[in-house]
Amino acid sequence: MSRPGFVLEVDDRTPPLVVHEGLGFRLEDSFPLGTRVVYPPESLPAVPDVDAAIREALLHPVDSDPLPTLLFPGMRLTIAFDDLSLPLPTMKAPDIRGRIIEHVLTMAAEAGVDDVKLIAANALHRRMTAAELKHIVGERVFRSFYPQGDLYNFDAEDRDDLAHLGTTDKGEDIEISKRAAESDLLVYVNVNLVAMDGGHKSVGIGLASYTSLRHHHNAKTMVHSRSFMDHKHSAMHHSAWRMGRVIKETVKVFQIETTLNNDIFPKPYEFLQKREWEWSVKDQATMLGVRRGLSVAPQKLRHKMFHDMRSVYGLTGVNAGEVEAVHERTLQKVHQQHLVEVQGQSDVLVMGIPYVGPYNVNSSLNPILATCMGLGYYFNSYLGQPVVRKGGAVILYHPLNEGFNQLHHPSYVDFYEEVLAESTDPAVVGEKYEQQFAEDPWYRHLYRTSHAYHGVHPFYMWYWSAHAMDHVDEVIWVGADRRAAARLGFRAATTLQDALEMASGTVGSSPSITYLHNPPHLLAHVR
Amino acid sequence: MMLALEMFRSVPRTVAGKAIGGRMPGVLSGFAAPLRLVTLDEPRVDRPGWARLRTRLSGICGSDLGALSGRTSLYFSAVVSLPFVPGHEVVAELLEDCEDLPKGTRVVVDPVLTCAARGVEPCTHCASGQTNRCERITVGHLAPGLQTGFCKDTGGGWGQQLAAHRSQLHPVPDGFSDEQAILVEPLACAVHTARRAGLRSGDRVLVSGAGSVGLFATLALRELTDAGEIIVVAKHAHQRELAREFGATEVVAPGEVLRRVRRATGAFQLEPQFSSPYLLGGVDVAIDAVGSKQSLETALQATRAGGRVVLSGMPAAADLSAAWFRELEVVGTYASAQGDEAFDKAIELAATDAVQQLAKTVTAYPLHRWREALDHAHSAGRLGTVKVAFDPRSSQ
Amino acid sequence: MSSFIKESVDEVRLVARGWRWGRRSQVPRSAEEWVPAAHSTVFRTEWSRRRPAMAAREVAQKAGLEPLFRSQVRARVEGLDVLERIDGPVIFVANHASHLDTPLILLSLPDAWRRRTAVAAAADYFFDTWWRAVGSSLLFNTFPIDRRGGTMAATPGEVLADGWSLVIYPEGTRSVDGWMGKFRMGAAFLAKEHGVPVVPVAHRGTYAAMPRGAGWPAAGRRQLTVRFGEPLVPGEDESVRDFAPRIKDAVAALLDEDRTTWWEARRRVAAGAVPDPSGPDVARWRRVWEQSESPVADAPARRLTAWRR
Repeated sequence: MSRPGFVLEVDDRTPPLVVHEGLGFRLEDSFPLGTRVVYPPESLPAVPDVDAAIREALLHPVDSDPLPTLLFPGMRLTIAFDDLSLPLPTMKAPDIRGRIIEHVLTMAAEAGVDDVKLIAANALHRRMTAAELKHIVGERVFRSFYPQGDLYNFDAEDRDDLAHLGTTDKGEDIEISKRAAESDLLVYVNVNLVAMDGGHKSVGIGLASYTSLRHHHNAKTMVHSRSFMDHKHSAMHHSAWRMGRVIKETVKVFQIETTLNNDIFPKPYEFLQKREWEWSVKDQATMLGVRRGLSVAPQKLRHKMFHDMRSVYGLTGVNAGEVEAVHERTLQKVHQQHLVEVQGQSDVLVMGIPYVGPYNVNSSLNPILATCMGLGYYFNSYLGQPVVRKGGAVILYHPLNEGFNQLHHPSYVDFYEEVLAESTDPAVVGEKYEQQFAEDPWYRHLYRTSHAYHGVHPFYMWYWSAHAMDHVDEVIWVGADRRAAARLGFRAATTLQDALEMASGTVGSSPSITYLHNPPHLLAHVR
Repeated sequence: MMLALEMFRSVPRTVAGKAIGGRMPGVLSGFAAPLRLVTLDEPRVDRPGWARLRTRLSGICGSDLGALSGRTSLYFSAVVSLPFVPGHEVVAELLEDCEDLPKGTRVVVDPVLTCAARGVEPCTHCASGQTNRCERITVGHLAPGLQTGFCKDTGGGWGQQLAAHRSQLHPVPDGFSDEQAILVEPLACAVHTARRAGLRSGDRVLVSGAGSVGLFATLALRELTDAGEIIVVAKHAHQRELAREFGATEVVAPGEVLRRVRRATGAFQLEPQFSSPYLLGGVDVAIDAVGSKQSLETALQATRAGGRVVLSGMPAAADLSAAWFRELEVVGTYASAQGDEAFDKAIELAATDAVQQLAKTVTAYPLHRWREALDHAHSAGRLGTVKVAFDPRSSQ
Repeated sequence: MSSFIKESVDEVRLVARGWRWGRRSQVPRSAEEWVPAAHSTVFRTEWSRRRPAMAAREVAQKAGLEPLFRSQVRARVEGLDVLERIDGPVIFVANHASHLDTPLILLSLPDAWRRRTAVAAAADYFFDTWWRAVGSSLLFNTFPIDRRGGTMAATPGEVLADGWSLVIYPEGTRSVDGWMGKFRMGAAFLAKEHGVPVVPVAHRGTYAAMPRGAGWPAAGRRQLTVRFGEPLVPGEDESVRDFAPRIKDAVAALLDEDRTTWWEARRRVAAGAVPDPSGPDVARWRRVWEQSESPVADAPARRLTAWRR
């Protein structure tokens, strides 16, 4: 039986605690006594028979007819699926999406459906390579669809393949993949890794163009998404939900959502899954070995060590049917795996940024992405109220020294060198530069033909962080490159003590501290 | 008799300077420079229009360092006459009346030795005022020499006295400091550069380099033309600040140039194999104010098709494919033309606040400390200096 | 390089302090309620019955244990001839009075037997820290059994099945006064289950030499005796419940034999008058008094006359 998450209070019996920092981790032994450490629940037991669970979901969907009855000869069937930004880290083959797609296709073949297209719902994310697509959909599906071009990445800049479905009552444009919009049935296969994913965000955002996305991906909306891990209190999700309801009128969506457990670190890194005081001698030895190895390994090798990690997630649930009903059930499972009760806010929030985020799979975690991971995703991993009080301080661990991947993040470089040099205020930079970056022909070209994130994407990263920047007064990076931190508008410290010393101007000399011990993922429910 | 620094013919030193001078300036100022401090006879003046001058201050220019380290092309060996006293950025006072200018007048020298100075019939260029293009620079009563400071008969600024022709002299306005005046000659070159850039209204310009050449070019472009955006490439922190003061709209680091130009112009960037990237599209005019291979190639790579690349520094060999493929106009800009009244405009520019501030940072050395001075000039950018000069008066 | 070594040392030190190496690991107070109920923290010992460990044990026993043992006590071994008549594996069942019992029995065995003999040891004492577990299994070839549960853990069976002979002390703990205690049924159960003979072993003098609580054998090279008896084989339809007392009786008879003579002991067995090995029901001091006497008169301490004047 997996144990629930809990809040540890650091006392004199507490061993040093793991804090992730990019391509490595630290053993932090200087947490002041009384520091609260939030541990996620242990991995939930996995579904014993995955294929049976998928079949069950497709044959007995929620608020929908069984999938086979929705399939008929001569129909246009489109299967969309989440891209490589989920799950994190990448799942060990076979990917759950591939297994589900195989089931859907088997049913489609039985029903005599000929016109089938598979679209990766990557929105403004980079195009995936053939190998990456193959990993997600599996070899069978890839071989059957990819060579003819029936399996492809969504292109949000292909004017010929976009359809404007109208506007919401708030005047938000809805523009999504034309093929998806004009299908008789759109099956969406998602991986609901965290509470933010899924629901109307799947089709409404994954298959949408900039025209549509700009309505909710902006500084103003993000400041009012509290948090975007809680779709009922997230302005971004409200917008996506409004759009989703309009989409529903045009196209029949059959949503399939999956939830995974927290088995993130495979052998030999399992010790990172465990609570430190429960480490066996073997765990301690492995940890020491890994740390020593990391300290002498060149950056490239460390990058390889971490990015070659494939997680052995267990499937905890699969639900299919009507979007909102399905999502309700999905969230329940996600909460069961991630939710931890935390009593009250604290003055200081400490978070370690790991090596991977949604946008640097097989790439490098540049300073902007690191900021987004910390102030965007981790800061927003709360329900209720933020873990840190208004006007508090956030301390993040990451060296910020990975540089930029020119292939994947060309616009990030310019954002970093040009835009952030001028201002780090999300609203200000958005106002002045977003349009320019979004419409830059070269970025567009790289997004469409190479493997680059869209020109506007770095702005979205900065918007994700807008709520945190608005909420806290001080952000300090431990172990970070000073110049990079300064460019981002933050400060750098060498150790936690230094960082707390620096923060004392904001939060006093004996602040209450909370450390979010993730990964594995957690969602703090702050009372 | 007078003290002067003399550049002489020395094959081993020139070779050594060429081999390692660029990398290790210490070697250059140590033993490898073909330069020596000597006592010479004062220059003789026996022609009408000529007069002797006592040097007050004489700048060290990038081309001087290039010549000393043997990096300058041998192309120029035909238009200099060794041994000579270098120094073509000169502020001096007249030791005797020179036509309309009374003795004691403080002047700056336009170093170009034209037909008028050589006492020959004006060539077509001199006749039309394009004195910097004079075709008679090796003939007449003077030894060959493209400028004062490269000719053995006139002497140069790095000596206590030199000779100059009335056509070269421009009185310094009262109230100008010597340091301010020393900047007039490079400013005049910048004025000429701005003219050669041939800008149309609103054109986007890239100035590669933020030494004195780049900074003054920026100033001249901003003050004398209708340039739109001026992007300046600056390596050092103080250069970045100065570039902004001199009128740059954007200042970028050397590694960022292409990306910033690309972003600003919405161009496409290409990545050739085993070679540096370049743009399709880019700025309208690029000015290479360094003269290195890298700087020149950056200028070529960042200029739009049909744009113009101005060679303001003495250029190194570079890949000219872009010039051919993108049909670039590669134009040189050498010294300044009398017909443009470049010096008058330069004197106006020298009166601006920005230049006055800059003049305060001019560092002067006596002649006998020439090794230190060269060392300093070599790493001026890093040491936060824009102009290093000799003050021959302080050496007795 | 030197900085790498220094960092490594610092790091090992940090871990050693943080995880309390060599001491009990501790759980932060606030985490206590989330720690699963203490499951047995018994260390695995398969490695100790593999070739490298066997080789190491041979060296440790022959070069370390045996000379040390002989230097501290004298041992008289009787009845080893029974082993020539049977093949292993067997279960040696002995009374238990001292930590000297195990080395005494092991070192009395012929080498071939000794190398293939494992000793059942209390999991809760010998296997609760890694260093004690490693030390005892390396030196004495111990494996853990649970002495609280009554039935034994699965391991002894596996060890037997692998062809290892076992030493089992059915009393489950060392005697407090040197007299024999109650026998549990584990040994009988194992013998019955796996169809192996039980060799009763009786020894005397270990209590006198090193009783419970002593950390080292008493001075003066005390005399110990150990006697191996006829193997017992459980009958076809003999139950464990019937077999267990037979083992106990055999050990009691051996003790009697050791004290007197084989003939007298046989006669007392026949007459059903074997003295109770659990001793007379008298005052405690008298029981201890009797057991604290060596079974055979202790030889005088060795004198190194060459060094004396």
